[in-house]
Amino acid sequence: MSDNEFVNEAIERLEWSDAKVEATPQSKARAVTRRVALGGGAGAVAAFMLAPAAQALAASSSSVFGTGKKYHFVFVNHVTTNPFFTPTISGIQDACNLLGCSYQWTGSETSNVAQMVTAFNTAIAGNADGIAIPLIDPKAFNAPTAKALAKGIPVLSYNADEPTNGRLAYIGQDLFVSGQDMGQRIKSLVPSGNVALFIATPGSANIQPRINGAESVLKGSATKYTVTATGAALPQELSTIESFWQGHTSYKGLFAVDGGSTQAVFQTIQKYNLRGKGVKGGGYDLTPITQQLLAAGEGDFTIDQQPYLQGFLPTLELFLYHASDRLSGIADVDTGLKFLDKTTVKPYNSTKSRYEGTSSKVGVTNS
Amino acid sequence: MIHSDPDAAAPARGEEQPRSAPRAVLSPWTLIKRFLTMREGSISVVTIALIVYFSLSIPAFFTSSNFQTLLTYFTWLAILAGGEVFLMINGEIDLSIGGVYLFAPLLFYEIVGGGISLVPAVILTILVCTGIGVVNGVVTAILGVNSFITTLGTLFALEGLTLIVSHAEQLNMPGSAVSTSANGSSHLGTFASIFGAGVYSELVWAVVIIAIMQIALTRTRWGLHTIAVGSNRIAAAEAGVKVRLVVIRNFMVCSSLAGLVGIMEAVRSQSISPDPSSSNSVLLDAIAAAVIGGTLLAGGSGTIVGAFIGALFLGVLQDGLAIKGVNADYLDFYLGIAILFAMLINVYVGRVRRRTGVG
Repeated sequence: MSDNEFVNEAIERLEWSDAKVEATPQSKARAVTRRVALGGGAGAVAAFMLAPAAQALAASSSSVFGTGKKYHFVFVNHVTTNPFFTPTISGIQDACNLLGCSYQWTGSETSNVAQMVTAFNTAIAGNADGIAIPLIDPKAFNAPTAKALAKGIPVLSYNADEPTNGRLAYIGQDLFVSGQDMGQRIKSLVPSGNVALFIATPGSANIQPRINGAESVLKGSATKYTVTATGAALPQELSTIESFWQGHTSYKGLFAVDGGSTQAVFQTIQKYNLRGKGVKGGGYDLTPITQQLLAAGEGDFTIDQQPYLQGFLPTLELFLYHASDRLSGIADVDTGLKFLDKTTVKPYNSTKSRYEGTSSKVGVTNS
Repeated sequence: MIHSDPDAAAPARGEEQPRSAPRAVLSPWTLIKRFLTMREGSISVVTIALIVYFSLSIPAFFTSSNFQTLLTYFTWLAILAGGEVFLMINGEIDLSIGGVYLFAPLLFYEIVGGGISLVPAVILTILVCTGIGVVNGVVTAILGVNSFITTLGTLFALEGLTLIVSHAEQLNMPGSAVSTSANGSSHLGTFASIFGAGVYSELVWAVVIIAIMQIALTRTRWGLHTIAVGSNRIAAAEAGVKVRLVVIRNFMVCSSLAGLVGIMEAVRSQSISPDPSSSNSVLLDAIAAAVIGGTLLAGGSGTIVGAFIGALFLGVLQDGLAIKGVNADYLDFYLGIAILFAMLINVYVGRVRRRTGVG
């Protein structure tokens, strides 16, 4: 660091001038004290030099948007502890740091709608400046949304949507449509024959619509399918998919709609060397093992839906809604349906970042 | 089998020949009756019936390759259930095994990340898990908090700690990497082969651990004291059994085994997943295996071998339904009905056992 060099140079100069005098215990003690004081001071100097930069950054949102208010946004979630949403939380954090806002991450661990409604109502009662929620139930959130909007609190939906709800906009992937796209992909990979569709926990609001979407496309086609539940724990998902394969070795494709089952599909394909038999495989989301096995050619695709944007963009929109005094800020955003294959998954393997939930550090680092 | 029922010590009505006379050779029917009325007998029969059913209805079930898959369903569960049995005999329960199961691989990851090699890291991790057992035991046995609440507390705390330390990120398990050779076959490292990922590794661990624990329960003072504490705590204390020590020791064993299982399952799946919903399902399965195997939730009586068979029953059921390709929406329904059915048979045979006094 340059300020450390400056300090070292100062110490050297002072010691050089001291060296002209015979060294005494006092002079040695003085030299040590000086080193400690100046060395420790370097941190303070650095902080002092950086302070205006930090102030400029904090000032930027108020000088740009004309508001210095520290907004507080509440993100209600249906599976608060699911690693899928780690990048979403990073996105919220980054947007809040940029705009000087604060946020709360709350809701249910187990897609419990009643718990989510309670968290929603608590946010309204606590006068949040904005609420974002995955609408995983067709009706349950209508009343709280109406109540919040009546109170002047903007409500957005992210990750899962219900268009009949009065929310201002939706930021995320359409789960059902993504399932339909996966169904099309399955049909092109396995034009005829049997395929298996795996789902960790049937009925879960964040994965069931995907399998419904895939089924809607495959129904009546030459690609016959079965739907199998694999369980909540990853080792259990692996065992289930291995068993399924033992009983269905004539199947031409194994596909999954959740991150854990997708990893287990690729692991099963690797274990039994199914690529050699021409078995196709694919699924959703990016666990580290899924990425590695996909790059090694043990599967055909996985679908990324950019969870980072599902946190970053709602925060930005809620902020702009207030900053523009309701004139702007709200827009539907499709965070996309990124099909990754053997080639396109490579950059995900060679980097670690908070955008994909593989690191909590700032920026993208090579792994 | 444990002779812990109050009635079990009573002379069997079916065996009224003079004790001094040499025993007559037992007829096959008597042997079958004896087997059936053993504590593990009924669930063994139900499990065998289930295996026969699946073998007849699915050609791929009774094959060596499915046998290898079946092992991954129940071996680890048997170890977890075995630890739980010791506590359940005490009349206590340990819910925190779910949390330990979740936390241990992450702790192992951090220790290995700190520069310690794999095997010492396993030992260190398990020692920390033993420490968690000490906390559970002290809070329950000395401070007097009900074990359900104590371990519910440590369960949540450990699940939370796992999320905090891992930043809720899924991590790769150290030492578990699978390499693929040019001809497409995959290879495991030695560490992974021993600790969970090898085909028979979890089976060997389970059989050895279950055997040691069954001997400890039936042949050692520790086992005797465990049963005594569960049957009548006050009487046991008055007879000189160190009740608190027995309970704390059993919590330590239970947590240590949960730590070992957590590591082995993470090695097998190559991943450390911090999601608490997985640990909660594992915890319920372990308690179910112990109870299905013939251990009383109320305490005073239980069997380690039974827990192994209970885990096998659940494993065969899950494997069979998966290999059959049962529709996702029906799976839980079939599982639930089968468990209820097995328990009804257990309870019925238990009633017969108490009537005959064979135990």
